[in-house]
Amino acid sequence: MNSFIAFIMGPMVWISVIIFLGGLLIKFFGIIWSVRQKEPYIFSYMTVRHSLRSIGAWLIPFFPKSTRLRPVYYGVSYLFHILLFVIPLFLASHIVLINEAFQVSWPALNNSLADWLTLVVIAALVFFAVRRNMVPEVKFLTAATDYLLILVVILPFITGFLAYHQWFAYRWMVVAHVLSGELMLIIIPFSRFSHMLTAPLTRAYMGSEFGNVRHARDW
Amino acid sequence: MQTPDNTMTEQLKDTTDLKKTKATDPAIESGLKRLTRDRIKRTINQVLEKETGPRFKAYVETCMRCGLCADACSYFLSNDRDPHFMPAAKVKNTIWKMLAKKGEVSKDFLRQAVRISHLECNVCKRCAMYCPFGIDIAYMMLLVRRICHKLEITPQYIQDTVNSHSVTLNQMWVKDDEWIDTLQWQEEDARDEFEDLQIPLDKVGADIMYSVIAPEPKFQAGLIYQAAAMMHAAGMDWTMPSTPGWDNSNMAMYTGDNEISGRIARAFFETAAKLRVKRVVMGECGHALRSVYDMGNRWNSWAMPPFEVVHALAFYHELLTEGRITIKEKYKKKVTLHDPCNVSRGRGLHDKARQVVNMVCENFVEMVPNREHNYCCGAGGGVINCGPPYKGERMVNNKNKAEQLAATGAEVLIAPCHNCHSGLEDIIHHYGLEMEIKFLGDLIYETMEKKIYTPGK
Amino acid sequence: MKPWKKKFIHRGNKMKKWTILAVVFGLLSAAGWMVVFAQEDQYLERLDSWAFESPRRPGAVFSHDDHIMDLDDDCSICHHVYEDGELMPGESSEDYYCSDCHSLTSAPDNKMPLEAAYHNLCKNCHFDRGKGPVLCGECHINE
Ligand code: SF4
Ligand code: SF4
Ligand code: SF4
Repeated sequence: MNSFIAFIMGPMVWISVIIFLGGLLIKFFGIIWSVRQKEPYIFSYMTVRHSLRSIGAWLIPFFPKSTRLRPVYYGVSYLFHILLFVIPLFLASHIVLINEAFQVSWPALNNSLADWLTLVVIAALVFFAVRRNMVPEVKFLTAATDYLLILVVILPFITGFLAYHQWFAYRWMVVAHVLSGELMLIIIPFSRFSHMLTAPLTRAYMGSEFGNVRHARDW
Repeated sequence: MQTPDNTMTEQLKDTTDLKKTKATDPAIESGLKRLTRDRIKRTINQVLEKETGPRFKAYVETCMRCGLCADACSYFLSNDRDPHFMPAAKVKNTIWKMLAKKGEVSKDFLRQAVRISHLECNVCKRCAMYCPFGIDIAYMMLLVRRICHKLEITPQYIQDTVNSHSVTLNQMWVKDDEWIDTLQWQEEDARDEFEDLQIPLDKVGADIMYSVIAPEPKFQAGLIYQAAAMMHAAGMDWTMPSTPGWDNSNMAMYTGDNEISGRIARAFFETAAKLRVKRVVMGECGHALRSVYDMGNRWNSWAMPPFEVVHALAFYHELLTEGRITIKEKYKKKVTLHDPCNVSRGRGLHDKARQVVNMVCENFVEMVPNREHNYCCGAGGGVINCGPPYKGERMVNNKNKAEQLAATGAEVLIAPCHNCHSGLEDIIHHYGLEMEIKFLGDLIYETMEKKIYTPGK
Repeated sequence: MKPWKKKFIHRGNKMKKWTILAVVFGLLSAAGWMVVFAQEDQYLERLDSWAFESPRRPGAVFSHDDHIMDLDDDCSICHHVYEDGELMPGESSEDYYCSDCHSLTSAPDNKMPLEAAYHNLCKNCHFDRGKGPVLCGECHINE
């Protein structure tokens, strides 16, 4: 058992991080390459200024009109996306492990704060799932895979939460936590989670078309 | 949201029945009959694989089905928030299914796809401003129209305008001599008012080539008169071409007939080049601007138009701010302004338009939302051009716009775009709104100092 | 009911979605309860964590007797002595506190801070021998 744990907490972490980062990198260069091949005009309209202007505008909470029309959803969504990165990166237990492996460390979140924030993430994901089933226009677009994606994200958080509290089956809970976290990383480049890469690109292109050609705002 | 008054809501209620009878037309039906499964499959795959690239792929892969684009679309808002009219749902019911079935779709599916892309989306790109990822659903709807075009199932009326473009290079089957006659007739009429007024034809080296869309000589020759009056009073060095290429409209752009669309834009620019003008000024038309400023030039490999293209709104702004035209007495009635998507969202002219309106009119109220966020007219993205068979449902799909107009309480609606103008006129009649509709040029002409220009002064 | 809403009812994926939700819930609770609370009887003591300033976790639980037995009375395996970064074989340090050498943060004369010293010593050995706890909460059992 210990050697299995050593594997999933050692080499498997490497494998999943490499697939995650490598996958996104390959995807990124694939996009650039095929833009060059098939749609080079895209480059002639893209400007750094307008791309950043649009991305920036959409990063400011409740600045775009669309976000003000749906304040609850956007509020939850903003918070969720920030926490999705902040919690794993600033969790004391993760930092301890990274410190043991690489002798680097950085300030950690207070444990009980992290605990509450984890609950916030779980609640946000439940909210997304419920909204999918309740709001007609969202429901109309929804397929089983959309729930599956929510499941993939919620698992590491639920298992992490339960493991932290050591309520039951601690060892199995940690194993499930590690595996589901790795699963999420591995899935990112191959699923619509890759919007973490493509969304800034599509936004930048639209921002450039609006800013550079149409002289209009796109938020 | 606006709250329509009671009579409005009553009106709106009985229109819902219109939707039940979903119209189709002979061109679509006979087109569908001709199709074979093999051809459908080949065409769809050819367009989706060969004519698109990473951009399309990113749009399809990135959409998180969040439904935030829904609130952007007038069609969705006008139809009781029916999900079928939501932007992403239109993609789901066309593109996603075509991709999932690898092009093996039925004729019923295609009949539906024609409807969705030609009648239930006005390619206004409002949704691109509401989708957090900036996914361009109008682009994908134009792809669907392209597929329909290649399958020869484009709605009859709009196809006829494309046929006209193809034969005559103008949209309305205007014959070459008819065109010249109309210009001369307007010149003659205008001379009663302005003694030496000229509509200079083919004047090589003039500063400005003035261009219009074909419906002007066909039905609205008065607009040419007004433009000539303004040019004359302002003392501009201008000309109009007498040969094909004078029409800046482009319906082929909206049917996905990119080849003809490209030809039209090319002929237009070549005409300007032949006349060696410095810039091209165009009348109050939105989609024409889209053609020569955005889409037509690209098809001909010009990143930006080879000539400076000045839309009427910007031109009026120039004439008024430079004092070339002075306003005698401001227009008194309460006016509101419709921002046509192709000139505001498409060219950022909304602020200039407001300045002009304020220079010309005393009492201006905004409609809400406005500027880039204005609701589309539901007509000028090729929808109105699909013709009378679909007018009933167009009115249903414009309910939202009618509410927006009613809430302004304005007496006069300024619509500086031809297709908006016609579409909004239909809305006003259908919903019984107490409103007149005018072009901005109408108001300027009405209020301006009718000075007689003498060369050298 | 709005007319378009009717269309949803006949789609049949309502059922599908509930099934999925049920399966998910089932899996989660199974993962929880499936497990046996198989804990061996041990004389466990909780290590005192006085040497740490505001520790984030409770001190580790530990059985000294089991370790003496399993390590054949070789105290120097844990109570080691390093000089100039070199392990001194055979020498042992049971009369010292770990924190006498391992300060809280790394310093020139101590490359291994106290926390890392514990974690490495225990976990590496448990991994090497294929037995013993290796996960955070297996030693730092909540009080
Ligand atoms: S382009 Fe306009 S009409 Fe078409 S889906 Fe988007 S918002 Fe609706
Ligand atoms: S808002 Fe954008 S991402 Fe969301 S459903 Fe609409 S198109 Fe897809
Ligand atoms: S007719 Fe007008 S609002 Fe309407 S599509 Fe044109 S530019 Fe857009």
